[in-house]
Amino acid sequence: MASLASSRAGTGEDTPKLEILKDALYEEMIQHGDQERLYNQSDLMGLNVIPKNDLSLLLNVIQGLTADQLVVAVSDSRAGIAWRYRSREDAKKYSSLPDTETQMVFALIDEAGADGIWSKTLRNRTKLHDAVLKSVLKTLEGKGYIKDMKSVEHPNKKMYIKAGLSPSERATGGPWYTDSNLDEAFIVGLEEVIYNFVKMKSTYSRPTKQPTKGVVGRKRTANDISTDADGTPTPAPVAQGPAGGRKLPAYLPYPAGYTYYPTAREIAEFIARSGITNNTTLSEDDVQQLVDILVYDGLIEPVVVARRKGYRTTRITKQEPDVPQQDGMEEEEKRLGAEPPTNGYVEAPCGRCPVYELCEEGGPVNPSGCVYFQRWLGHD
Amino acid sequence: MNVTKSLAELCPLLIDEIYGELPSRIYSTLITRGRSTLSQLRHYTALTERQLRHGLAVLIQQNLLYFHTDSDTRTTTYEANSRPAYNLVRTGKILEMIETSYGPAVKDVMQSLFILGQTRIEDLKAAYKVRIRQQDEVAGATEDDIMFDGAEVAPAANKPTLPVPSIAKLNNILCRLVETGLVEVVHVQTFASPEDIFSDVSDRVMRNKFPGGVKGAKGKLEFDEAVAMELRKIRRESTTLKRKLEESGSAAKRRKLLNGAGVNSEHEPEGDPVLDPRQVIRVNYDKCVVELRNRRLVDFAADRIGTHISYVYGTVLKLLSKHIPRCHDDPLMDVGEMRDEDTRPRVVTTNEILNSLPTAVDVSQGVAKVSKNRIDIYSATAVRPNPPATDPVSAILNGNNEEDGGSDDDSDYEGPNGHPAADDSAAVDGDGGVRFAETTHKENRVDMLRQHLYLLAESELNFIRHCGEEQWTVDFKPLIQHLKEAELDVVIEHTVGRQGLRLVRILRKRGKLEEKSLPTIALMKKPDVQTKMLEMQTAGFVDVQEVPRDPSRTANRTIFLWYTATDRCISQLLERTYTTMLRCLQRLHAERRKEKDVLLLTKRTDVKGREQEVMAEGYYQRFAAHLEAEKKLLGQVMRLDELVAVLRDY
Ligand code: SF4
Repeated sequence: MASLASSRAGTGEDTPKLEILKDALYEEMIQHGDQERLYNQSDLMGLNVIPKNDLSLLLNVIQGLTADQLVVAVSDSRAGIAWRYRSREDAKKYSSLPDTETQMVFALIDEAGADGIWSKTLRNRTKLHDAVLKSVLKTLEGKGYIKDMKSVEHPNKKMYIKAGLSPSERATGGPWYTDSNLDEAFIVGLEEVIYNFVKMKSTYSRPTKQPTKGVVGRKRTANDISTDADGTPTPAPVAQGPAGGRKLPAYLPYPAGYTYYPTAREIAEFIARSGITNNTTLSEDDVQQLVDILVYDGLIEPVVVARRKGYRTTRITKQEPDVPQQDGMEEEEKRLGAEPPTNGYVEAPCGRCPVYELCEEGGPVNPSGCVYFQRWLGHD
Repeated sequence: MNVTKSLAELCPLLIDEIYGELPSRIYSTLITRGRSTLSQLRHYTALTERQLRHGLAVLIQQNLLYFHTDSDTRTTTYEANSRPAYNLVRTGKILEMIETSYGPAVKDVMQSLFILGQTRIEDLKAAYKVRIRQQDEVAGATEDDIMFDGAEVAPAANKPTLPVPSIAKLNNILCRLVETGLVEVVHVQTFASPEDIFSDVSDRVMRNKFPGGVKGAKGKLEFDEAVAMELRKIRRESTTLKRKLEESGSAAKRRKLLNGAGVNSEHEPEGDPVLDPRQVIRVNYDKCVVELRNRRLVDFAADRIGTHISYVYGTVLKLLSKHIPRCHDDPLMDVGEMRDEDTRPRVVTTNEILNSLPTAVDVSQGVAKVSKNRIDIYSATAVRPNPPATDPVSAILNGNNEEDGGSDDDSDYEGPNGHPAADDSAAVDGDGGVRFAETTHKENRVDMLRQHLYLLAESELNFIRHCGEEQWTVDFKPLIQHLKEAELDVVIEHTVGRQGLRLVRILRKRGKLEEKSLPTIALMKKPDVQTKMLEMQTAGFVDVQEVPRDPSRTANRTIFLWYTATDRCISQLLERTYTTMLRCLQRLHAERRKEKDVLLLTKRTDVKGREQEVMAEGYYQRFAAHLEAEKKLLGQVMRLDELVAVLRDY
């Protein structure tokens, strides 16, 4: 390799022959891989274009191609120096550029691909003066070779991307972003759809006619207590359904081992079929992301049955029965799922107190006189 | 229990609420000053010796103090015992639990024990004798058919009766309470603080068994074992009566009786041994807390899975906890192979559950019915012989495993005959198949009961574990951790909203995360995440670790790793709960001060009981409003105690 790199080229080969070899080598490179492929010296020899494994001839050919912008040398950490080719179209662009600075900048933007590159990175890498860089970028933009772009990862950075490429998913943020803004309405809407789908599939909706059997609705009388007064803990009265008794749960859980809990794939298929995401297609991974969020929110939970990971609604029997929504369009701030549980701390005024840390008996804010207790006790 | 500032303020207020100012003042001094002698107390409190002795007597009667008499100097030191002092707030809840679980008669006896503090059986009986006699006199004036003390009491139809109508009945209830462990024996060491007992025992063991000192790791181990054994011996003192009863075989007899009628029926229990009248007994809070924990877990299951299933769960817990004397193992005593028989994990069988399930519980309810081909029987009935990993590291690892759908490593997934699980035809093999193969026939009770049990076991929270064929157990430790997290999450959600909770849960599951990765996982806007994280940092739910990427330590060369320390959040919440209780009580005092004139009026004997008639309209209204506020505040304190119980005691 070193010998080739350091050997002086440009001896007395006749030009037409060189042109033919250049074309042949270039065509072979295209045949053997895409623009990403790196060819080292022996790869190039292996293409069987250069007769008699003539190293210096190869070097001449490559140099010629490089001068035409059709081949770029890259130093690869593993293979040492290697080359890749460019499309003729791109090569034309490079050749049309006025100076090496512009070429250099364009090369960096080109290299960055669909992720784009930050203007500051360009400056650091090229070591160009700000003003020079600016005019170079202007030239390139003017020629329509590059365009600026926005990345959701760095919304405030000025980024450039090669014209004709669309920004990568990393830069656009995938289906969740519209014009590099997180489309929260879209996400919330989809989550509701998924939640309702999981709820429908994972719970048994009780027929509205209420069976009268069972102990749940019955108030325990002193008699009941004495007949089974054997120390069995029973749920405190509050736990007997929101309406304090009578009401039976609207939904029931399925037995253990139920194999029809929807999986992320089934949810994705359902969404695709429903067509609610009209011009965006969601991959299974995208849907999984939404499903995970519902899990984090404690609204659904994974159940693994027969090595199949399905999802079901949490707190099934606490779900309110579905009320057909009259004006379904304007249900603002609707919260998915059952009523969140509470406890003694969040019910007390101190649990929600903005001045909790400052409060002390004898201090300026104190329990004896504070307005939060005043309100809580209904004193005003 | 380490005493924090808010707890140290809370306990005296609770004592004040029940026993008045004098004991409260002494207690408060002791809890802030640490252990003190009588003369030191006199100095600190400026009370007279008579007052002090009286106050101390009340405190000791209620087990609110430890004391220790030095064998050389013959001086006695007193020390505040914060656990029973705090427990005062729980009395009402325990009584209510006893009433629903054991009936009004048992509750009545417990209530008397609470009022009397530690008491000799003789004295308790005497107190009841007086009440029974009074009752009989009243009844005698109107009715003829009275029976006497110790004999049959006429079945009470409509006349008012005492819950405990005879001394024999009292004896029976006491035997029962002692057997369950809800009442224990007071012995010489009851009033010694655990530290004193420990140092006494260590000294003794050192002197008797290791006169040459403890050498090497092995010696240390042997020494610890010996100390633990001695400590256990002392602890067992409080169950002497229980064991005596068990040996006498009266338990079996009573069980027979229970199956027939139960203690609350009017069958007069026979054959109970008469308890030694000089024995001193008291309520055993530890055991009460075990039963309260059962109730809380039943509520938890009712919330997560459904009320019907929670009834079954109640039975499982009752059976399991029969032999659970306390919620927490003692780190000194309950270690190693030598631990007490009764602290080992227990299992119950499906049949035992069936036999104990109250007949009123309808197991056909609560679970949807589906055809058997929609059920994977091997997943449903999978046996998990090992408890879930409890140490956080492997929990995290398991959590990650779960992502790949491999969470049940422990489960024996293959069917009993080694059939692949998806093979439906295997469902008729072995005895497992029978359960599901006959869904077309009317299911019998035990099958339906199993459905409930499987569902409890399938839950992410692992309410129960199918630890062997037809055998069930409860892994309390991880379950209670879930319960604690659930309570914490309630607070987080109410404080920083659902999105805040989402972020915390993400961190809890994934460990430390870079700030940049959070918006993607949580699908939230970057600035929103930043604001939320800062808000939650202030609230103490999350924290950040800064890792500089190079020595310059500039902000943009630093990685910000967010994390949540769940245990720290829990102890912080506990602390805040104490403080909130304290503030509720302080407010109550303020309310009382405000309405002082009205309250003074209602104390007058000519007003008491007929406030509405004799008080001026305005005054009465103020009085009624005050009662309302008082009820609300005390009610809130009890609600807060439920949280304390979960976070600290269960
Ligand atoms: S100011 Fe009032 S509400 Fe706030 S912490 Fe103090 S007592 Fe509680």
